[in-house]
Amino acid sequence: MGLDLEAIRADFPILSRTMDGGRPLVYLDNAATTQKPKQVIEAMNSYYENTNSNVHRAVHTLAGEATEGYENARTEIAAYFGSPRDHLIFTSGTTEAINLVAYGWARANLSKGDVIVTTEMEHHADIVPWQILSKERGIEIRYIPLERDTLTLDMDAFEIAVKDASLICVVHTSNVLGVRNDVERIIQLSKTKGNRGNGAFVMIDAAQAAPHERINFIELGCDFLALSSHKMGGPTGIGGLFVKPEIMETMDPFISGGDMIETVTLEGSTFQKGPPKFEAGTPRIAEAFGWHAAIKWLSTHNMEEVHEHVSNLARHTAEQMSKISGIKIYGRHDLENCSGVVSFLHEKIHAEDLAHLLDSGGFAVRTGHHCAQPLMEALGVSSTARISFWLYNTQEEANAFVEHLESIVERFG
Amino acid sequence: MTNWPLPLKKIIAEFQDCFDRMERYELLFDYANKLPHELQSKDWTEENRVKGCQSKAHVECMIDENGGFQIHGAADANLVQGLIAILAIGVDGMPPSEVASLSPKFVDEMDVKASLTPSRANGFLNMFEMIRNTAADMETEA
Repeated sequence: MGLDLEAIRADFPILSRTMDGGRPLVYLDNAATTQKPKQVIEAMNSYYENTNSNVHRAVHTLAGEATEGYENARTEIAAYFGSPRDHLIFTSGTTEAINLVAYGWARANLSKGDVIVTTEMEHHADIVPWQILSKERGIEIRYIPLERDTLTLDMDAFEIAVKDASLICVVHTSNVLGVRNDVERIIQLSKTKGNRGNGAFVMIDAAQAAPHERINFIELGCDFLALSSHKMGGPTGIGGLFVKPEIMETMDPFISGGDMIETVTLEGSTFQKGPPKFEAGTPRIAEAFGWHAAIKWLSTHNMEEVHEHVSNLARHTAEQMSKISGIKIYGRHDLENCSGVVSFLHEKIHAEDLAHLLDSGGFAVRTGHHCAQPLMEALGVSSTARISFWLYNTQEEANAFVEHLESIVERFG
Repeated sequence: MTNWPLPLKKIIAEFQDCFDRMERYELLFDYANKLPHELQSKDWTEENRVKGCQSKAHVECMIDENGGFQIHGAADANLVQGLIAILAIGVDGMPPSEVASLSPKFVDEMDVKASLTPSRANGFLNMFEMIRNTAADMETEA
């Protein structure tokens, strides 16, 4: 049937605003954060207008409604990812989710001599926590390189590195290259060959994947799945870590204080079981309402169609861009599973200049190292410009972008 | 128009004549090629790096043989190098005391700020502030 782009776009108030010179906004920075449908904005407004209260403790009506809404959000969001509600810990986003694995699980379960395998393709959020842990505990980190000609992970190197590894941390879909890693194979290899055949633990960074495809945490078979709400139409400030309950039991709290305890005496404290143990303090209540609304909204669309639409836009645009003199594309848009990200550079115009020049035409694009400096080094660049599509972007917008880029290159290149 | 030094006055007038943002960018690109004292990339150091700039930008302030102020600089992005060039041309050869007392309001008169993101505009103003402080220090030391 296909996506009804007109109806989809009508749900996003911001897409109707105009930019400098009355030009329409063409938002192509979705890998950084997506825009929010009115259903999300209304859910959060409604929470503050009608329900606002702290959750879990008080007995008054508002507190009951806030608690019910907050915990319903957990149930429905977990279900969207094919998981029971007790597998989902709310965090501030992917970064905090990965840090929770590092500080809550790895600190309690890994020690000197253990090996963590990650990759050159990771976001800094999936590198720095392991470097800090490595320094603190003497844990070895191995980085799986990128094959320079295919821009995909060197799976031969992975097969060797995984053998005596305890924890594997891999990005599902790159925020720079648009490449979707074969996470199913990575998990299977980790479970059968990792830690000398006894199986390694696996953490998947799904921040860029969740907006593009339906992920089933249970079927995927990893131990930890980290993601953010704001990259899939939800609000900023909330995300989640999916963890198998038997593993959650072996984790220490990352932050502590109110709400996560059972009892506190001057001699010591006992903690709640399950996700609440890791959600100290007043949680992100309005954000949970908003993320729940985003999930409900996304559920009305066929994610296979979303993926096809977004990857077709990226593929077509990358093809057109590569015909422009001096433009070099970084990524594999010929692959069936590519996401909506296209990174590029011009041989003469600096990426930051490009972003300014594109912005003058109403095109919101990203430049910089995209929090992936090791990947930039592997690509032999210090930064790239990046466009990233989501389901509301149209072919007309993509064409207008290519046209504007061409005119910039003609004028400034 | 405020009583700016003549070279700066000319630059302000040029930018005021620009029709739109793209023309202002084009002018900045032109100025990027007019750096009076280009700092060669071999001389780019951590000490002369402009902090908080996404692109690589380096600036050093010097005094010429006549006691005039000089800005030596460069950047890998043309828009940033253009901004450095405007400052370098605008104050070239001025007594450090005059550079130290220059108002940043000329940026508003050029209407360049509207063409930059707030972080870039702040970066430019921070660079200008650093140059003014250096000029003040030079004046004190002289």
